[in-house]
Amino acid sequence: MQTKNIRNFSIIAHIDHGKSTLADRLIERTGVLTEREMKEQVLDSMELERERGITIKAQTVRLTYKAKDGETYELNLIDTPGHVDFTYEVSRSLAACEGALLVVDATQGVEAQTLANVYMALEHDLEIIPVINKVDLLSADPEKVKQEIEDAIGLDTSNAVLASAKTGVGVDEILEAIVAHIPPPSGDETKPLRALIFDSYFDAYKGVIAHVRLMDGLIKKGMELQMMATGKVFEVTDVGCFQPAPVEVPQLAAGDVGFIAGSLKNVRDVRVGDTVTATANPAPEPLPGYRGVTPMVYCGLYPVDSADYDNLKDALEKLQLNDAALVFEPETSVALGFGYRCGFLGLLHMDVIQERLEREYHLELITTAPSVIYHVHTTAGEMIAVDNPAKLPPPQNIDFIEEPFVKATVIVPNDYVGAVMQVSQDKRGEYKSMDYLDTNRVMLIYHIPLSEIIYDYFDQLKSTTRGYASLDYELADYQPSKLVKLDILLNGEPVDALSTIVFSDQAAHRGRQLAQKLRELIPKQMFEIPIQAAVGSKIVARENVRAYRKDVLAKCYGGDITRKRKLLEKQKEGKKRMKAVGSVEVPQEAFMAVLKIH
Amino acid sequence: MEYGVYIHIPFCRQKCSYCDFPSVAGHEADMETYTDALCKELSAKGAELSARGKASTIYIGGGTPTALPVPLLARIIQTAQAVIPFADDYEFTVEANPGTVSLETMTMLSTLGVNRVSIGAQVFDDAILKRIGRIHTSQDIRDAVRWARAALIVDVSVDLMYGLPGQTMEDLKWSVGSSMDLAVTHISVYGLTVEDGTPFAREKAAGTLDLPTDEAEEEMYDYLAETLPKFGFRRYEISNYARHDFVCRHNLGYWQDRPYFGFGAAAHSYHDGQRSANVKDIGVYIKAVKCGDSPAHTEESVTREKHIEEFCFLALRTAEGVDREMFSKTFGCEVESLYRKAIDELKTKNFLEETPTHFRLTPLGMKFGNQAFAAFLL
Repeated sequence: MQTKNIRNFSIIAHIDHGKSTLADRLIERTGVLTEREMKEQVLDSMELERERGITIKAQTVRLTYKAKDGETYELNLIDTPGHVDFTYEVSRSLAACEGALLVVDATQGVEAQTLANVYMALEHDLEIIPVINKVDLLSADPEKVKQEIEDAIGLDTSNAVLASAKTGVGVDEILEAIVAHIPPPSGDETKPLRALIFDSYFDAYKGVIAHVRLMDGLIKKGMELQMMATGKVFEVTDVGCFQPAPVEVPQLAAGDVGFIAGSLKNVRDVRVGDTVTATANPAPEPLPGYRGVTPMVYCGLYPVDSADYDNLKDALEKLQLNDAALVFEPETSVALGFGYRCGFLGLLHMDVIQERLEREYHLELITTAPSVIYHVHTTAGEMIAVDNPAKLPPPQNIDFIEEPFVKATVIVPNDYVGAVMQVSQDKRGEYKSMDYLDTNRVMLIYHIPLSEIIYDYFDQLKSTTRGYASLDYELADYQPSKLVKLDILLNGEPVDALSTIVFSDQAAHRGRQLAQKLRELIPKQMFEIPIQAAVGSKIVARENVRAYRKDVLAKCYGGDITRKRKLLEKQKEGKKRMKAVGSVEVPQEAFMAVLKIH
Repeated sequence: MEYGVYIHIPFCRQKCSYCDFPSVAGHEADMETYTDALCKELSAKGAELSARGKASTIYIGGGTPTALPVPLLARIIQTAQAVIPFADDYEFTVEANPGTVSLETMTMLSTLGVNRVSIGAQVFDDAILKRIGRIHTSQDIRDAVRWARAALIVDVSVDLMYGLPGQTMEDLKWSVGSSMDLAVTHISVYGLTVEDGTPFAREKAAGTLDLPTDEAEEEMYDYLAETLPKFGFRRYEISNYARHDFVCRHNLGYWQDRPYFGFGAAAHSYHDGQRSANVKDIGVYIKAVKCGDSPAHTEESVTREKHIEEFCFLALRTAEGVDREMFSKTFGCEVESLYRKAIDELKTKNFLEETPTHFRLTPLGMKFGNQAFAAFLL
């Protein structure tokens, strides 16, 4: 395929605006898959992704399209993860493209996440084709949405395509627009090889498979290649592209998108954003934009049954093969025993990993409340990064603490501006700016602690704006805050896994709420359990879980054993989700209770 | 093989406020067709039961069996007598509501071979009886017991409840004392549980259910467990107390893994490794039996694992506990091989005690029976 007939593009869309459905239609229309082979939303292949309707790992697919000009084109669709946790991955996917489809729901308009990704695409000089989707819906208002795109993004919408991924309307026009408006890749086959890794995954048979976009040079089987950031050298054993099943090709050349595999056993050696070059004729400079993985959120993962410790380790190692962003190291908690401190890109990433561990590896886990990384400056003049509240040095050794802040972008109908401001202020947000996107939609920008976002900022936003708010955020900086450690004591014993770092003015209030929540969550036991919240040695709240007085079923009615058995099974099931902390049985949810208070 | 027979009468004069048992009030019109269907179901099963040997116990429960007109109840008993072969020392119990019996009822029961009545007394305080939706007074209870005795039914049991709205310890003591005055042979005690869908559940949700505190309820439980034995009532099962040998052999059968056959709407059966139940709806039941269809559906096949679990957690309800020899005879393995760890853990909690031949719940273990039972789920 001549370079001039190649088009590399992504689809940018807010969740539920129809990205996956549109991808399905494009695949269907170009006949890569017959209708029979076509499964709904083929690109979202992980079970979890399907359930949650989001893309976690990016995928690519090569489409062969015979355009109206009579020429045949190779269209490489590079899917991007659709969640704020994976911003860096999105940026690498976009860097592999020359253009992007901006899909906006004709009934909803532009959302915060869409904006963030469009700006990122513009930074990469991508040609953007607006696609106004869902025009088949009665409430669709394409003209208004077009105007909004022009006003909010400053994008010319004269070449916008009106489409319905659901009915197939506009799909041909989209394909023609891709050919007509997105430039072919530039690049020189004869120059030293430079290929961008924008995704990777672990295959049980072939090892790590890297998704690459070749900027210069070419890759053939048998070549010896090197990762420029990690330094890893390997021999190429497979070269191919996805259609969407992997297909071997003789070579990949400048401008092409495809995959390579070699003797790569560890996904850690294959970093997204890294540049691949050839050892025989190495490129002098890597491609710009590489960044190491920096987890933003940490939590402890502990097996309910301590005998599962090694299984948890094995499972984490297996998941890590496929997920360079997941980091973990052993950790010991007085309350929970042996487990792992794990770092994640964000809350969704954390949820996904936790769910996969439980679902795919059948582990019963206790997850401690997520924490950001605090920069603790000690009186000795050191800076310690603390990702676990239990490890906060004693107050007398702390000079000051800095916490991470983000720039949060919120888009809402103007009726809810007051509500957003209220919630943001409650969450210690600092107002930065407000802009009208059109006559009734407003974009607000706040500087707000990441820890508040992790708690329930978005939930609160959603509930106070009746679901209309959309949120995007990016790490801004670290700033000093008045923070203290809030400890929880059960039965008089501090439980390290329940400690949190909180804003000092809110400490007493949070302590009271947390103690109340724990009282609801911890079931009655054989003895009374006092729950105390403390800041330092000062008790700020106290609640009691009263003792069980008795626990026995009375009558077994007329021999209905089945009903009785079900009750016992329920009781046993509940007990399985408990962790003995000292003499107190604590249910799993209790360790996340801090997320459930406002 | 010994087996039991259970017959369900799903009618009541009035539903009590705590009751979620399968019974209905105000269906007098269905009583005769129901009796027809029940007798037909019994007759149809007669041959199968005869082939299995003799029934050692039969129990007519409800609902309220005595809510039926005397001739209908008599027909059911006669049919049972005619089609089911009884062992010589059979136990035949009929449940009775004091508000629906007379000397005539008791005489009929006795004449037709019923040798045990279980009277739903609940409490001996008229205000509380009214509060919980009972249709009778405390005097009705006394009359019912006296009429049973007059009809020469020796074995008379009363049900008592504790933890009721408005009930105090003094009320409970009065009820126990009143039962002693009547010289009953057996007492069943039940703590109130507020079941979903009952009037009490609605009252609880509305905040108008004046239940005793957990502590007060516990004191009532402790009082019963301590006091009844002092009056010569042996606690042979968690909720059941008997004088001398007047245990309810039918109910013991449930705990001791014996087969039973249920008749009538919502009746449960257990035999040949299957647990089954008849349809609950009276109309559907009548129609099915009329058409010659089976009203039963299988609830579960009792696998070996489930059988082992049930064998243990049911036997643990009894004072005797689990008989090791019986266990190994039934399952071909030692109880230790499966439950050593569970037994030791429960022993540490002082929930369980062992003898060379048995292991059984301690009084504390009985109080927290659910936790002990759950430990026997494999």
